[in-house]
Order: sequence, then structure tokens, then C-alpha cells
Amino acid sequence: MTYALDVQKLSKSYGKKQAVREVSFQIAEGEIFGLMGMNGAGKTTILRMLATLLRPDSGDALIAGSSIVHAPDKVRRSICYLPDEAGAYRTMTGRQYLEFIAGLYFHDEDEQEACCRLGEEICGLGDALTQKISTYSRGMTRKLVLARTVMPKPRLAILDEPTSGLDVLNSLDIRGTIRRCAEEFGTAFLLSSHHMQEVQTTAHRGAIMKDGQFLAMGTIGELLETYEAQNLEEAFERAVKGV
Amino acid sequence: MMHLLRKELRELLNKQMLLSLLVTFLLIAMIGFVMTNTMNETLSESGQVHLLDADDSDASRALVKTLEERGYTVSREVISEEPDYAQLLASLDWSEAAMLPKGYGQALSEGEACEIGSITMLRTTSALSLTMAAGGSAEIVRSAVQAAYKQAYLTGDLAFMQDPVTTSGYTVANGKWVQADAMSVASSLTMFDQVMPLILFLLVILTVQTIITAVATEKTDKTLETLLSSPMPRSTIIIAKMLAALIVAVIYAVTYGVAFVLTLFGTVSDTASQVDIGGTFESILDTRAAAQTLGLQIPAAGWLGVVMQLVLTIGIALTASIILGGLVEDAKGSQTASLPILVCTMFPYLFSMLSDIRSMEGVPRILMLCIPFTHTFIATSCMRFHDMPLFWFGLAYQAVFLGVMIFAAVRLYQSDLLFVHSRKYRKRKIHAD
Repeated sequence: MTYALDVQKLSKSYGKKQAVREVSFQIAEGEIFGLMGMNGAGKTTILRMLATLLRPDSGDALIAGSSIVHAPDKVRRSICYLPDEAGAYRTMTGRQYLEFIAGLYFHDEDEQEACCRLGEEICGLGDALTQKISTYSRGMTRKLVLARTVMPKPRLAILDEPTSGLDVLNSLDIRGTIRRCAEEFGTAFLLSSHHMQEVQTTAHRGAIMKDGQFLAMGTIGELLETYEAQNLEEAFERAVKGV
Repeated sequence: MMHLLRKELRELLNKQMLLSLLVTFLLIAMIGFVMTNTMNETLSESGQVHLLDADDSDASRALVKTLEERGYTVSREVISEEPDYAQLLASLDWSEAAMLPKGYGQALSEGEACEIGSITMLRTTSALSLTMAAGGSAEIVRSAVQAAYKQAYLTGDLAFMQDPVTTSGYTVANGKWVQADAMSVASSLTMFDQVMPLILFLLVILTVQTIITAVATEKTDKTLETLLSSPMPRSTIIIAKMLAALIVAVIYAVTYGVAFVLTLFGTVSDTASQVDIGGTFESILDTRAAAQTLGLQIPAAGWLGVVMQLVLTIGIALTASIILGGLVEDAKGSQTASLPILVCTMFPYLFSMLSDIRSMEGVPRILMLCIPFTHTFIATSCMRFHDMPLFWFGLAYQAVFLGVMIFAAVRLYQSDLLFVHSRKYRKRKIHAD
């Protein structure tokens, strides 16, 4: 099977504190994988290592066949990273921002234009794209930055808390977009979330983390079965508390 | 009340504020130290009179006696009527002297006016050093000569007695001399020499603040993470940031430069039209010609060298800003982060205004020359006074410094340090993801 992401024994420490301990997992093309964990579990550290912003202390990960340790430049051509609470350049209009991001990924003008059109369609902001980002609400900004993350059709999209701080309707829109992009473009998604409901309704598979380690990993159904839970919140509580 | 006051003070008296206070204190202390040194040097020489005696008469010897009676230590050198002042001052190790002309004794005995020479060796165009160094001996000698005239002609022509002695200036520089007042020659040069450091100072401050805040804001908004995880090479990201800041800096520099030139040119033109157009311009042309003769004018190739130093300084400031901007936690920390660059700009700027950095000695000289920006502040001075080894050293030093800074910036943006550089940040991230 071809994996969009293949993580092998990835570890990272900050001083004496070990943030991630020998984590291994794979994500197939078009698959959505959710990382669940409490604050400080090591989710963001994993995402940042895969986004080539942090170097792992040991282990490696292959993204579309390229190593994050040995070929980070190649990896960056296959990924798009959306940090937690990421902003956009407030002096630009939404359209200008999408054009700017397209310019980072494509040299050809036609490809840039096609990328932008896709971004415009995904974010659904319509006429608001001609307005400055400084006038956008939190929900609008989040839709815009999600659109810029998926519009280059990366092999792997890495999303840190994609719906954090958003209302129910905006969150539902964003979850829908993630599912649609995974299906239509075959983009693999790795997302971290505190919201178990989000992972349950969006992801195909997931992992529960504590102290830099995976406590459990599998399809959503497998996680519910393992912990004999009605929903992921219950499964998460049982996994973390060891009940 | 006290509860709130404690909270307010705790917020205001933070590490950043204390650091700023410490730097300001050190800056003021250093300026005071330099000014005191300059004053002390001048004061230590204020009891000294250097006299070049072309008359070598009883009257000139009597004048020496009078000066000694007034408490001055007189160093007298008998000279031929028109010696090579440059060679003479260098051989005597004097920076200035008064020259008693041939025929002084006769003029005194016949009640005729006499002209004393005021010879100054120009080593710097620094305003304070120049003001304190120029014409000390000549003024003392002139006063003593005037007293001698008054004593000899108590009942003479009153109008003549008000001003029986005139002074004529001679300027020595670069092993040459001309008959021109040192202050006038220097002021024809300082017009530019004092504007350029000011523009450089403003330029560095503006670009540094702009770029540190821009990088810090990118970090806070997490747009930096977006950029660094994109396929765009990191060196391109850094170069683009530097170029953008450089273009903005050049726009500022050109605007300020044009404004200053217009202001200065307007001032000169206005003065000339109000006073005496022909005379003023002739005088300006005379002093410029004098500066030319002394080799104080900078040739076109020399200006190119000065501009190269300027570009290197801006490059260093920009690269350092990118590094510091990447290391700050947020936009709030950018003010403290810019302090090292501001101090490194402020010290040589103020010192170049108040003192002659090139003639400093020992540890202060080494410390000052270690600051790369110093070399741009003294570049025109090096050119004017033909201190080319120091100029080339400065150029090479700044080029190497810039290379090291660019290497460090690229390494920083390719490493983890941007996101895990401080313990505080580490702690925050460990408990926040």
C-alpha cells in the first residue's frame, strides 16, 4: 500500500522533557487521521516535525517517499501546514492572499490561477475576497487559511486544531471541506484536535496520545470497541485515565 | 490601593524596562566619560603656548617673558619667515601654534599694526574636538601682544589701539598647509560629514525596528510557520525580507538626504542673498579650494568606498534584525531585541560627533572599532585624512561580519531555534500542545 505519510519511531525532547516518544503510524492517500490528546501530550510537536519546522531527535517520517530528516526541501513540496490559530496577512485582500500562497507553490501562472480559483471555491467567501483580511471575522479567516492549505492539492495536509475557537456552523463547514478535499483530491489529512466529536465525524482513523506516546490507535470503530465506549469522548477518557 | 499599586509596578518594572534603563545609563556615562576626556586634554594643554617666532627680537623675547609671567608654559621655536608649517608642526609634535611674524618688534616700536598667524593641524572634522582644539595659542598670544601695544602707546590713536593686532589662519592637514582658517575649512566639509551619520543613524533605527517587528508579528500570527513549511527556499525568504527592508530604507534615506540637502542649500543661498552674494560664495569657494589643496576633498572613487561601507552597515543591521526578530517571543519583545543594534549605532554616532574615534587609544579604541557600524561613521574622516589602512580594515571587517551574520541567519532559519530557543517558550509549548 502507498502511504502519504509513514512515521517511524519519531522522538523529540525539549531539554529534559521528552515531548514525543518513538511514535509510529501511517496515513494512506485520501485518509483523514486524527490525533487526540490533552494539552502537552505532544500533538503539536509531531505536526511541527512533519511540517519540517522542528528536527526530530531520532526516528524519521517519509512523506510521499521523502524523508523529513534527509530531504526536508522535497517534503515541503508535498505538504501544506496549517498552524493552530494561524492568521493571514491583514493588509492583503483575501484574493491577494490566495494569489500569494499560490505563488509559493507554483511557478507557472496558469497553475497559480487554477490554484487560486480552487481556493476561492473552497473558502466560499465570494465577494468578501476583495476586502482586506483585517475586516474578516475569525470564522472567515479560518475558512480562508484552510482553503490556502488545501488548494495546492498537497499529498499531506497537516492541520493543527482546524476548528479551534469557531462556532458550530463554521466548524461544520470546515469539517465538510476537509472530507470533500480528501475524497476529491486524494489529499491525506493529519489533524490534531481537542474535540472528540470533530475527530469522530471527520477522521477515518485516529490515535489517543498521552505524555508523547500513543495509548491507542485505529479506526474510530476500533477505538470505540477497544474502550467499550459509546463515543470518542468516553473512549478518550477511559484511555487517558486508564479506567 | 497598595494591592493595585504593587500590581501596576510589577507590570511596569519588568526586565525590558530595567535593561533599557541600564543601557541608557551606560550610554550617558560613556558620553560623559568621552566629553570629560576631551575637555581634560584641552584643559591640560590650556596652560601651554606654542609659539613660532619668525622675528626673534627683543620684543618677541619680552612677549615670551610676559606670557610666562601670566602663568603660561611657552614652547618657542625660532623659524624662518615662511617655513613648511606641516613639516614643522609634525616635527615639533604640536597640534596648533601661534606665529609671530618677522618685523613684529619693529611694528611694535613704530606703532604699526601686526598680523599674528594662527596655525591649526586639522585631524578631525568632529565639531567638539575642532572647537576645543583650534587657535588656543594664537588667542593667548594675541591678547598678550595687544597688552604690549597698549602699554607702549597709552596716549596713542584710540581707534588704532582698539585693534592693533589681527590674526591670519593657517591650516595644516595631510602633510600640506594653506593660508585659510581651520574652522572655515572644516565647516565646508562638516556640512556633509555631519548629515551622513545622522541619515545613517535614522536609517538603521527605522529599518531595524521595521524588520524586527515584521518578523515578530509573522511569528505571532504564525504566518512565518506557513512560509517556512512552504516549498520556497528559506534563503529566498530571508533575502526577500532583507531586500524589502533595504528598499524601504533607501526610500527613507533618499527622502531624508534630499530634505537635508535642500535645507542646507537653501540656508546657504538665503544667507548669501541677504548678506553679500559675491563675498559669501567667494569665501565658500576659497575654503573649498583650501580643502582641495590640503587633500581633504574625497574623490568619486572614495565616495564609492563610503557608500560600500554604508551598504554593508545596512546589510548587517538588516541581517541582525532578522536574527533577533526570529528569536523574540512576540511583537512586544521586539523593542528589547532591537536594543543591541541601537546601542551599536548610537555609540559610534555620538562618539563620532563628540570626539575623534580615529585618535582614540587603548581599550576604548579597540571596543569602538569592534562595533562594525563605527567604520561607516568614520569612513569620510578616514578618506579626508588619508587613513586608508583603517578604512580598508573597516570595509573588510564589515564584509566579513555581514558574511557571518548571513550564515548565522540562514542556519537559524533552517534550525529548531526559531521555535524552541528559550526556556520560557519551551515550557509554554510543552504545556500547550
